[in-house]
Amino acid sequence: MAEKSGSVMVLGAGIAGMQASLDLANSDYNVYLVDKSPTIGGMMARLDKTFPTNDCAM
Amino acid sequence: MNINLITNSEVKTIEGEPGNFDVTLVNHPRYIDPVKCTGCGECARHCPVTAVNEYNLGLDDRRAAYIEYPQAVPLAFAIDTDTCVGCGLCEKMCIAKAISYDDEERETEVKVGSVILSSGSQGFDPSDLDYLGYGKYANVVTSEEFERILSASGPYFGHVMRPLDREEPKRIAWLQCVGSRDVNKTGNGYCSSVCCMYAVKEAMIAKEHIHGDLDCVVFNMDMRTFGKDYEKYYNRARYKDGVQFVKARIHTIIEIPETGDLIVKYADETGAMQEEVFSMVVLSVGLKIPDTSVELANRLGIKLNKYNFTATTPFTPVLTNRPGIYTCGVFQGPKDIPGSVTEASAAACLAGSDIAESRGKDIEKIEVPEEIDVMSQDPRIGVFVCNCGINIGGIVDVPDVQEYASKLPYVVFSDSNLFTCSQDTQDKIKEMIVEHKLNRLVVASCSPKTHEPMFMETLEACGINKYLFEMANIRNQNSWIHSNNPDIATQKAKDLVRMAVARSLTLKSLQEKVVPVNKQALVIGGGIAGMNASMGLANQGFNVFLVEKEAELGGFSRKLHHTIEGDDIRAYVEKLIGEVTANEKVQVLRDARIIGFEGFKGSFATEVAVGSQAEKQKIEHGVIIVATGATEYTPKEFLYGEDDRVVTQVQLTDRLEEKGASDLSSVVMIQCVGSRNEENENCSRICCQSAVKNALHIKKFNPDAQVYVLYRDIRTYGMLEDYYTEARKQGVIFIRFEKDTPPSVESSSEGILVTVEDHILKQNLEIRADLLTLSAGMTATDTDELSGIMKLNRSPEGFFIEAHVKLRPVDMPSEGVFLCGTAHGPKLISETISQAQAAASRAITFLAKDAIKLSAITAKVDTDHCVKCLTCVRSCPFGVPVFNEKEKVIEINEAICHGCGVCAGVCPRQAIQLSFYEDDQILSKIDALMEAV
Amino acid sequence: MRLEYPPNVKIIRVPCTGKVDVMHMLRAIQKGADGVYCVGCLEGTCHYNEGNLRCRERVNHVRMLLEEVGLEGDRARMYNLSSGEGPTFAEYAKEMTAHIKELGPNPLKKMDT
Repeated sequence: MAEKSGSVMVLGAGIAGMQASLDLANSDYNVYLVDKSPTIGGMMARLDKTFPTNDCAM
Repeated sequence: MNINLITNSEVKTIEGEPGNFDVTLVNHPRYIDPVKCTGCGECARHCPVTAVNEYNLGLDDRRAAYIEYPQAVPLAFAIDTDTCVGCGLCEKMCIAKAISYDDEERETEVKVGSVILSSGSQGFDPSDLDYLGYGKYANVVTSEEFERILSASGPYFGHVMRPLDREEPKRIAWLQCVGSRDVNKTGNGYCSSVCCMYAVKEAMIAKEHIHGDLDCVVFNMDMRTFGKDYEKYYNRARYKDGVQFVKARIHTIIEIPETGDLIVKYADETGAMQEEVFSMVVLSVGLKIPDTSVELANRLGIKLNKYNFTATTPFTPVLTNRPGIYTCGVFQGPKDIPGSVTEASAAACLAGSDIAESRGKDIEKIEVPEEIDVMSQDPRIGVFVCNCGINIGGIVDVPDVQEYASKLPYVVFSDSNLFTCSQDTQDKIKEMIVEHKLNRLVVASCSPKTHEPMFMETLEACGINKYLFEMANIRNQNSWIHSNNPDIATQKAKDLVRMAVARSLTLKSLQEKVVPVNKQALVIGGGIAGMNASMGLANQGFNVFLVEKEAELGGFSRKLHHTIEGDDIRAYVEKLIGEVTANEKVQVLRDARIIGFEGFKGSFATEVAVGSQAEKQKIEHGVIIVATGATEYTPKEFLYGEDDRVVTQVQLTDRLEEKGASDLSSVVMIQCVGSRNEENENCSRICCQSAVKNALHIKKFNPDAQVYVLYRDIRTYGMLEDYYTEARKQGVIFIRFEKDTPPSVESSSEGILVTVEDHILKQNLEIRADLLTLSAGMTATDTDELSGIMKLNRSPEGFFIEAHVKLRPVDMPSEGVFLCGTAHGPKLISETISQAQAAASRAITFLAKDAIKLSAITAKVDTDHCVKCLTCVRSCPFGVPVFNEKEKVIEINEAICHGCGVCAGVCPRQAIQLSFYEDDQILSKIDALMEAV
Repeated sequence: MRLEYPPNVKIIRVPCTGKVDVMHMLRAIQKGADGVYCVGCLEGTCHYNEGNLRCRERVNHVRMLLEEVGLEGDRARMYNLSSGEGPTFAEYAKEMTAHIKELGPNPLKKMDT
């Protein structure tokens, strides 16, 4: 069997995709984070504040 | 960072197998090269086209050459060719030559070992629901639009206005469950899980923005604030902030044409029609999977459920039907941010497991440039003042503050920025550091809590020690709180900048200690959470010590039978125990108790007493996962323990499994026993589904049995809503009661007599029950001793506290310590499993490294001035300072120093200084502040 | 949370109130501050066990010293709250300011310059 790749592809760069990418990158895997829009961030970037702490979503 | 961002792209096909996938991507043209683009915005400024701004949901305009928002990553513009007229102005204006009109769609091939699907959701579009008047009446908006209306970067710059006439609203109504919990009109039978909470939030924030009178009314069927501490948030909105919550079914919304106000017609709980007038109506739209994600799933052969979320099972929450392809976030099922973040880490854990042997193979190490010795140079300070969009600039006179800063001593460069935190500003700061030979950096912007690490990295990238950095918080501590008084805010900003500059002069280069990481993990608790966390770690090649206080593994799950979906919990637990005990990387310590603990992230040592002989064993490990679990609350209420016909849901399940339900003609269930009360303010999250599960179970065995569920709000979130719908279809009777008028119960020879006030009939109902079942909440396992030994923080309810509710939901405040399962808060088995995998993933981010850098903010002893009075030795809460008998000096080990500074405070000779907070560094700020007095 | 409080309050960051020294508080008063107060975690919840209790002792000490030199001891105060209590922070800032306004300006300020 061929040697396994050391990379992971994450499809969708919202908060979930970004967190998965950060964990994998910090665990020494190479990550391709793909999004169909020109900007990462997904739905969360459109929120003003977030419950239950009312922190800024940005 | 080894993350390659690929924007404007979609996946066409994925071929191959786990470990070796060939992915074909379609890269759509962006027309502006993100590498060349500097984000200066000249293209947008000169673009003559007005297009709808999707980022603000069409509430305002943008250009055809655009960027979604100022903090966008990558910070690069794009051209929207649907509206672009091809005039060529932007191409002429672009100094970076980033624009190319002949950009074309391309296909690229990428080789990867595993794939994570996190394509998310979109808000439900209520345009087709005529009765709500969305699209017809300007002042009816969706909750997504209202988010933008609230936002400082939104179309109205954070001023709450209604779209029709830009008037400040006097009364706002939120209508819940638009596109959720609605099989008839929209076909979306599920609960979107987040709308109750965001409606509460939007109402609170709107009230905060409009300082005068604003009435907020949330029309709902049930308020579903089931997350950790969410009930407290709901209560705050309800009882402190005065947000009103009304149980109602909305009939229609009609606009009053003269005023633009809206008449909301609804049926109240008694069925009577009511009318109320509002200035604005917000539709709390549900989460929906976009068609593009359905197409993607179809292309990849990924199975979806009937609502188009990924088809998963309770015991494999992030697995898709295709091996090597994982799912997380809302694509997996409706959920909030903490749930999405947790599940994302779980998916990362499993995606990594598939390719653990190739870890590190595809990455390049980034070298930090060698540090320049600047301590011998004269101070050269650069000051950057941030506008933070309009957050600061809208109140503080930023040019004036910058001008003031430029004249302060040793300031050789100053600048102001729209967003000092943006990527392009970082590049600019780097250029200026080099050009002006800056050796100290001051940023006047927001909180160091969030942004200090980023600016410190910028310094490091220029070879300047990162501790030569100081921040002035002119936003959170200034513009936000003095927004009514711009002159005073500007003066205070100057004071804060002067203080920061003065302190920066006293800063010193500090070196961070590098410590090796012990690549073994300690997992505390051998229930479903602890075992899954252990497997997650073992599958990536790390040794695990799994400590269980009982004689056998399994925890509370041994008392359970089936999930609501019908999956066999006992069979699952047995299989899991088999896997854990067979895995050579996992060492299980049963009947074990933690008796001693020391160390720090990467290098802990825990002493354990194992077995009946309490044999002592010392374990060295680099990380800790806490999974101590929870149990069912033992009720004091409703005759529990006095009459054996009163049982808990767990006991009822046992009984149903043993004896069935043929002898039961009437069962009453009471919800929220031991939850949502004075003793335990929170919701226990799982009891509503337990009640529905058991009610359906009774109906299955004995369709003629009457089952009554007495509840306050039914909280069957997500896909669980289908079971609630099914229970009602099967004739289970749900009766709501208020917290203040709980049911009363009485023993009799006939059975248990339950009396409850019915809201619909407005009279007391008396129900005879063969069995009264209490939906007892969850209580945390007693961890008094453990939390004392390991210094782990718990909430007043006894659940362990995470580092950050949303952004670090499985990390604990002490670094290298992680948290999962019901020790964190009540949750379902599926949620426990994903959180356990998440904790493993977070732990691996430590274990994957050979060494970690420790903070340089530690105490140092000046042995020449120290008189060895031992006050520090007695005062340190962690026992760090020790007297070295041989050398006759006090020593402080910087690796275990927590940096609190207590020793520095107590030292009578000021012979101890806390780095970065030395006395002259604090006094410099006081002196600079008082200069103006 | 953007809660309003008086602008005459300026914050100096320390890792824990246990790091605040008598000398730091006295320096502020000496240089003309009308008041100085420390805001620590709720008693019993100090991340470093008892830093906030130590701070309270030092504040009491400063109060004593101020009285000894003929100033009002109440120009120095200790407050406690949890990190989630923004509104209480603002409340304390208002309370302290109102209290100091009652006491009037720091007499040392006049002696200076």
